[in-house]
Amino acid sequence: MKVHAPGGQDGGQATAPPDNSDSLASFKEFAGPRGDRYGRTFLRIQQAKLPGYHLNTSALIGGFLWAALRGNWPLFWIGFAADMVAAVNMALVHKYDLAAVQAAADGKDFLVQRYDGWSDAHLQAALILFFAGRLLLGWLADRLYYHHYTRWRINRSLPSGQTIKRLGVGMLAVLLVAPLTIYRASQFAPDQRSCIKLAHMIQDGEQVPLKDRFDCWTISEFPTLVWLQRPPQYSFPRNDDGTRSIVVKEPSSQRPVNLNNWLSEHIDQGIGYMKAFYGWLFDGVTRWIRVLLNAVEAVFVGTPWIVTSLMLVMAAVKLAGSRMGVFTAAVLIYMMLFGFWQTAMSTISLTVAATVICVVAGLPLGIWVAKSKVGAAVVTPALDIMQTIPSFVYLLPAVAFFSVGKPPGILATVIFAMPPMVRLTALGIQHVPASTKEAALAFGASPRQLLLKVELPLALPSIMAGVNQVVMLSLSMVVIAAIIGAGGMGFIVVDALARTQVGRGILAGIGIALIAMMIDRVVQKANRM
Amino acid sequence: MDERQVIEAREVWKIFGERAEEALRAVRQDGLHKAEVLERFGAVVAVRDVDFAVEKGEIFCIMGLSGSGKSTLVRHINRLIQPTHGQILVNGQDMGALSAEELRALRASRIGMVFQNMALLPHRTVRDNIAFALELRNTDPFTCHQSANGLLETVGLAGYGDAMPSELSGGMQQRVGLARALAADPDILLMDEPFSALDPLIRRGLQDEFLVLSRTMDKTTVFITHDLDEAMRLGSRIGIMRDGEMVQIGTPEDIILHPKDGYVADFVQGLSRLKLVFAHRIMERPEIYDKSHGNLADADTWPQAHPKADLNSLVSLIVGQQCPIAIRDNGKLAGIVTKDALLKGIQG
Repeated sequence: MKVHAPGGQDGGQATAPPDNSDSLASFKEFAGPRGDRYGRTFLRIQQAKLPGYHLNTSALIGGFLWAALRGNWPLFWIGFAADMVAAVNMALVHKYDLAAVQAAADGKDFLVQRYDGWSDAHLQAALILFFAGRLLLGWLADRLYYHHYTRWRINRSLPSGQTIKRLGVGMLAVLLVAPLTIYRASQFAPDQRSCIKLAHMIQDGEQVPLKDRFDCWTISEFPTLVWLQRPPQYSFPRNDDGTRSIVVKEPSSQRPVNLNNWLSEHIDQGIGYMKAFYGWLFDGVTRWIRVLLNAVEAVFVGTPWIVTSLMLVMAAVKLAGSRMGVFTAAVLIYMMLFGFWQTAMSTISLTVAATVICVVAGLPLGIWVAKSKVGAAVVTPALDIMQTIPSFVYLLPAVAFFSVGKPPGILATVIFAMPPMVRLTALGIQHVPASTKEAALAFGASPRQLLLKVELPLALPSIMAGVNQVVMLSLSMVVIAAIIGAGGMGFIVVDALARTQVGRGILAGIGIALIAMMIDRVVQKANRM
Repeated sequence: MDERQVIEAREVWKIFGERAEEALRAVRQDGLHKAEVLERFGAVVAVRDVDFAVEKGEIFCIMGLSGSGKSTLVRHINRLIQPTHGQILVNGQDMGALSAEELRALRASRIGMVFQNMALLPHRTVRDNIAFALELRNTDPFTCHQSANGLLETVGLAGYGDAMPSELSGGMQQRVGLARALAADPDILLMDEPFSALDPLIRRGLQDEFLVLSRTMDKTTVFITHDLDEAMRLGSRIGIMRDGEMVQIGTPEDIILHPKDGYVADFVQGLSRLKLVFAHRIMERPEIYDKSHGNLADADTWPQAHPKADLNSLVSLIVGQQCPIAIRDNGKLAGIVTKDALLKGIQG
């Protein structure tokens, strides 16, 4: 290879083509059989000279088998998927052809026509998919294979060359996937109900055709593996002296049930038992929530609208400035004009009550999480679960134990809205600089003084962000809780949904959005000021 | 026990890690190195068998590079860190034997501490920061207010009492940190690299002010620094730490003239001796001088200096003179410093 002096003429490339024997050797080492052909192709890819129409004929003809031989599994799955879908379509063609013959024998002409149409459509799909898939594979093959090569250069343990063993692995994958899939497409699969009927027939000792049993096990829904004895029915009637007794009745039917039915009946009975014998606990919780809610509602609902609205506007001005005052006034006027005043105040009361409970319970919990390893280990997973569960699902336990109405609505809201309070309190405390805490300790602060005089004040911005989140989450959940009778603006929406009164629902929805904006802005501005 | 010893550390070891006790036993038996301990026990030897004593009223500087364990060591004195082994005595009281309540009382009233990053409470005014230690002892607000105002004046921040710490410059913040440490009028000041984060000019100024303050207030100070110049300027005595060990303890002059090993020697090499070495270290005895020069009789006409005069002042005396300097202690001729000897002394 020529060596050019610095600053020399740049004719080097034109006169002597750059030496590429190193690259070629490496390409050949990677490709193994037919190394020359792949070496040339890779060189052209490296030089960005590969024409757009370039196809790998081996891949085009061999399909996913070529990819398996070469150990390129991404290409294998692409090719296999395309061929598989084509095969499934062919199986469907077969299925509808048979069905058409059957329909012709039954003399149902309209069915024959329909089945023939479907059969044709699937045939076209099968052909297009097969040929397009192979073309795609042939086009992708060398390009992805080159990518495979670049990764192999970094990690030599990646497959290279071609071996028959990999072809065996590929065939195994095909054998596992293809037969049943194609069989499923060529048959009318039994539905779940007929399979359960079949299972009952087997339980009763009747003879069942082998094909039906096979179909139910393989190509229907997942078969019912476990059949369990139906649990006896419990009830907890109240005696004359006010105590409860347990009455056990035989189950209504002797037939075994599946796991789902069995467990849900047990859960029902467990809840029934808890309500019968620990009702005082749930009643107590309900009563305390009721007391709190009554106190809040006395302020918002029980006070004349003139007083309440004036107070709200003044509070907004004081907390967040005059612009927010104007916005608050506009929101309140919207509520009054459209007749939402009482319901809006009821929603706000619910939100405030839920927020109060969240803050009062969440702050100590957050401190516990920040301070104690046990606290973090106990509370953090619980919070994770609480935040993963969709809000709708909270309503179930609330209804199960606390029946319907406002207190269970608030309870569900509290569970939904509390996690950010706990998390942000803990976060705020954990983020107090260690040096600041050390300084406080060096001046003789007790753990209590450290918490009250250093950690909580420094965590305050984070805690207030938590309160803001709690308010917003409470509002959104309070609306959903209307489904279990919590009332308020949400009820209008739920009611409008049920009766398809779209207009009324939209007006109430706008009202809810306005309340949310009002509270959010005021709380945020107040935090900043 | 020596009455003058305010702080005494005896065989203090600190090893961080889950298997500290085990590591301590192994280190004491086999004398493992830091790296070996880390490898075998996953534990870090931060302080290694340190003994020292601080006398009343002195400024004891602990000097070392980062990671030498000096900050860890100073935190043992007020038991922010518990030693793995060994004892710390403060005024003869074993710190390890104190109950939590006694410890808090001692921290609040007897030991003040200043931190490198100030560690002021950002949500409190300067005045409330200074009065923090008092407030923790449930002092009434009026007394807190009064003593904080007094201290603001002491550290030269009068009128800044109602400012928030974030409104002050770094140097001013550290003055607040100092005032806070002085608020409960403790006998002991722990200064953990207090001036390291400040720029050199401000650092110089604060060092000077601190020297004046500590002379007038008669506090016993343990001063941590990684800056040898600072240690030499401030320290009555200096302890040099390396890898958790106390390599050498001595007066600045001791350390500069008799470095114990190559490590210390490397440290002091580049240091200017002008203000750290004194006449009595470089003077010749009069009779020896007389033997070689024979003009001792003229000694009364020569410039005169005290044995404790530093080299810097000797240079001022001798510039432009042909004769040497006579060193007199209480009027009695103690020695002679020639120009050559002075130049040698400066060179080291």
